[in-house]
Amino acid sequence: MRVLIVEDEQSLATEIEAALQKNHFLCETAHTAKEALDRTDTGSFDFILLDIGLPDKDGFWLLKEIRKDHADTAIIMLTARGAVEDRILGLDMGADDYLAKPFSLLELQSRMQAIIRRKFKLNDSTVELGAFTIHLKNRTIHHGASAITLSRKEFDLLNYLLLHKNRPLSRMQLSDHLWGDNADDEYDSNYIDVHIKNIRKKLNAYADTDWLETVRGIGYKIKTEA
Amino acid sequence: MRLHTKLTLFTVAATIAVLGLFVWQLPRLMQKIASDNTNKNLHQQREKVLKAIGQNGIGYYFQGDSAYGSYSMLKDEYISLEPYTETADLTKLQTAQRIIDGDTINYRILIDTFAVNHQAYLLEIGKKITSIQEDSVALQRATIGVLVVLTLIMAFIQLFYTRYLLQPLGRIIRTRLIKTKFPFREPHRPLVTSTYDFKYLDQSISQLMQQVNHAFEKEKEFTSNASHELMTPISIMQSKIENMMTDPELPANAIPKLEDTMRIMKRLKKIVNALLLISRIENEQYDRNDIVAVKPMIREVLEELQHRADEKALTVEESLTNETILYHVNKDLLFQLFYNLIHNAIRYNRPNGRITISDRHANGDYYLYIEDTGIGIEESQHERIFDRFKKNTAQREGFGLGLSIVKSIADYQRISITVDSEKERGSRFELHFSASHLAQ
Repeated sequence: MRVLIVEDEQSLATEIEAALQKNHFLCETAHTAKEALDRTDTGSFDFILLDIGLPDKDGFWLLKEIRKDHADTAIIMLTARGAVEDRILGLDMGADDYLAKPFSLLELQSRMQAIIRRKFKLNDSTVELGAFTIHLKNRTIHHGASAITLSRKEFDLLNYLLLHKNRPLSRMQLSDHLWGDNADDEYDSNYIDVHIKNIRKKLNAYADTDWLETVRGIGYKIKTEA
Repeated sequence: MRLHTKLTLFTVAATIAVLGLFVWQLPRLMQKIASDNTNKNLHQQREKVLKAIGQNGIGYYFQGDSAYGSYSMLKDEYISLEPYTETADLTKLQTAQRIIDGDTINYRILIDTFAVNHQAYLLEIGKKITSIQEDSVALQRATIGVLVVLTLIMAFIQLFYTRYLLQPLGRIIRTRLIKTKFPFREPHRPLVTSTYDFKYLDQSISQLMQQVNHAFEKEKEFTSNASHELMTPISIMQSKIENMMTDPELPANAIPKLEDTMRIMKRLKKIVNALLLISRIENEQYDRNDIVAVKPMIREVLEELQHRADEKALTVEESLTNETILYHVNKDLLFQLFYNLIHNAIRYNRPNGRITISDRHANGDYYLYIEDTGIGIEESQHERIFDRFKKNTAQREGFGLGLSIVKSIADYQRISITVDSEKERGSRFELHFSASHLAQ
């Protein structure tokens, strides 16, 4: 998938690029609105990550310009302003999602995954995890015919690990995702352990959960073949 | 007491006092004037009598009698002439009784001696005392009447003028001091008055307000700019560390260090975010058009924080009335407000403690209480807990901004918040929603 990163802070653009390349995205970067338009005029992208605060033009203006010719491109707005109106304005003008700086690269990738699922109508997709079937849309998990009840946070946790499967996620990264800006340092990362314990307990009643691994010194990961 | 009231009271009191003094002294004064006047009259009459005698000759009056006497019909006045046998000249004024036609009457009498053709005569001119007094009383009455009317007129003129004069002061107090609430938004209209003092006062107040506004604006601007400027570098650092952590060649012992760095950065991010939030609230970047049902929102907050309450084995007791709906609020901000208060109630609670969330309606207003059995706040600190970066000494961590956010949100949505707390016993926060929050 091709991604255009429009971000005037070069080092931030570099980091985003590095993270996305690891996930096999093909990235290009632009540091000004003019550069961005040059790129979009000559090629098409699956994703455009668009910083609102560009030196030469207003990001919203650029968003409109790009949308004219690229109806199918997924655009995620990035901004340091984070004001509610900005978000609403951005989404109204055709952005697919919105991330306030500073954002975690993991979060960016989750959002991109969500958009991909939406764009390719993967909403109804189910994921097989060992002996379990996870329905992403219904937010349910089944073993054969029997449904297993997970709490909202437990499902979110499992889902997030699944989204970043085969990659160890730290307790802090997980708690950041679960509690967002309200996450509390020590406190909630300990609570991740409790959640994991509960998930294992609930699932172990039906089948093995060796795909949910504890990574010593870091946190947890879901290991799958696919 | 207001200045105008004081001045009015003073004018009235001073008028009454002066008038009273005058009325009290008036009889004496009038008597003096009347008696002086009588004396003068008597002297004038003597001149006339002597002139008449000079013209007509003394014989004309005596007509062979040894004495002459004449009095008016009501015996108000009398004149008597008789030969005078003593040698010494006599001129005097006296008050004495005379018997006229069998009536004994008090007279003011001028006694004088004069000589015509080597013969000395004694002249007496008398004026009835009671008639003098009657004059004096009539005079007194008239004077008092005129005086009272004049004084009243003066008092009213004074009152109205004072009122007119003080009007600008009242306007200054009403428009600049009572009505205005910080930050002072009202575009400034200079006061129209010809009184220099008020003009100066008004100008000074306006200048002060502008300076305060300006300082406040600068602080807001600074907070907003600083937070924005900080976000980008934090963003870059965070991304760099995140990427570093996914590097498979990263030595195992580097991971906890990076995690630590991330944690510190998160703390930085939280502080900046909190400052940004406050600055956005203060810049009125949130609308206040949401409608919020209190109970479901509190439930949502409690669910979000349940695990933390469980960890401390806290009993959470929520006994809210079902139907309370709040209008003219911002949903996100209100959530944050409840979240911060309940989070604090958990954070500062003791293990196995209790959190009570209750409410009541009173006089058309709505009160919400969040009460904990935690470490409490010293009385001396009650005022300061809402200030930025002032943290409770017993606080382990935290950024000193949680309650500051609470205060900003409450102020912004015109919710009044008060704390009632006792050290080591717990705290109770009261949120007071006015009637305007309960109606559409």
